[in-house]
Amino acid sequence: MNPPANNTGPGHTSAAIPMIKILGSVSLMCGILIVATQITTLGRITHNKEILLRESIEQLLPGMHKQITYGIEPSGDLKILPGLEGKGHRFFAGYDASGNFLGIVIEAGDRGYADVISAMYSYNPDRRTITGFQVVAMRETPGLGDKIRSDPGFLANFKNLEAEPDHPITTVKHGSKRNPWEIDAISGATISSRAVGRALETSVQTVTPVIARNLDRIKRGI
Amino acid sequence: MSDNQAPIACHGATSHAVDDSPFVNGLWKHNPVFVQVLGMCPTLAITNSVRNAIAMGLATTFVLALSNGLVSMIRKIVPNQVRIASYIAIIATSVTIVGYLVDAISIPVSIALGPFIPLIVTNCITLERAEGYAAKHKVTKGVLDGLGTGLGFTFALTCLGTIREVLGSGTFLGFSLFGPHFEPWVLFVLPPGGFIALAIWLMIFTTWRSWRAKLKKATTKPGLVAIAEVHS
Repeated sequence: MNPPANNTGPGHTSAAIPMIKILGSVSLMCGILIVATQITTLGRITHNKEILLRESIEQLLPGMHKQITYGIEPSGDLKILPGLEGKGHRFFAGYDASGNFLGIVIEAGDRGYADVISAMYSYNPDRRTITGFQVVAMRETPGLGDKIRSDPGFLANFKNLEAEPDHPITTVKHGSKRNPWEIDAISGATISSRAVGRALETSVQTVTPVIARNLDRIKRGI
Repeated sequence: MSDNQAPIACHGATSHAVDDSPFVNGLWKHNPVFVQVLGMCPTLAITNSVRNAIAMGLATTFVLALSNGLVSMIRKIVPNQVRIASYIAIIATSVTIVGYLVDAISIPVSIALGPFIPLIVTNCITLERAEGYAAKHKVTKGVLDGLGTGLGFTFALTCLGTIREVLGSGTFLGFSLFGPHFEPWVLFVLPPGGFIALAIWLMIFTTWRSWRAKLKKATTKPGLVAIAEVHS
């Protein structure tokens, strides 16, 4: 009588070893290729991201000659960050060639229709208004939601948008804007328009009180 | 279903298909989109502009060439039981490398392609070419097949992107074609427009192929008749 089939016998173990060796070798080869590519391209990727960020800041603060990156520490204090690097809440102060303070560029983001909308806006701390807006990254529907990047009527909202903590920035239905802190939505792209409003409101509530407390220091660039 | 049928379609009984260059086969005779109807997800999702279509096609070409080359290289040492796992690891590695390269070349293109670069790993064309061709041929042929199939994919994506961008946005590669008074057909940049554009191209391609086949049949017929007369 034959013994019952045993899947855990020494024969199966010896057959599994070459497979493990091959899979291990393939994984090692893949790992080496990925790490080599990552190391080779890291400098270029960081450089490209900095260029993109710098271009966005320069477009929002025309005439900018020098820029300082400020990070907000958990305690609420400001810290100057080297270059454009930094994680967490941060903003960029811009100065002209004579060293005069031009304004502040702040990052904002919220979930839109397809993915997170990442944007930047320029902020005038003396008048407490948003003076410009630019979408950095998004995946909104082409032809509809992606108009938040280019629609002249929508972008006109951000030429002088009041950003007081007392009046929350709100997105209203297209054509029904009545107050200076309201954003006139794009018809057919309400979800994306509202996401922009939420992103700005969250950012204004978080960052502008810190700016107000440290405005003299920021204007002097220290 | 397409995945199972594709190798048969590519390497089936037609002797001329086996004899032809793997590059030409992938590029034209067995074009992944117009003939095999594979990789429909990126075909429909990313072709709302010509620029995105070309970028996606070239990224896929690189993945196909690299993964086919690596699969061909290890084809004799990989046990049958773990071959698919090995191929998927290689394809995923190729896609990761492409992701880094696209970021290094152009961040705006990377942003435009969004999650579709990582999703090349799930494109059935890549695994089909690895399993159906590269695992049975030398490295040179494997790479040529990857390049041909990838460029065929790029060609098809560009065809779709052209229709969709021209009609849906009134531009080609971002340049305005019809002036400021043109009212774009937004439908063409939305998903239904992708299906319509694909249907138009499939109709054109299939009609052209059947016309060519009829023409070929007509031109070879006298020769066949002559051979038949000799044998009789």
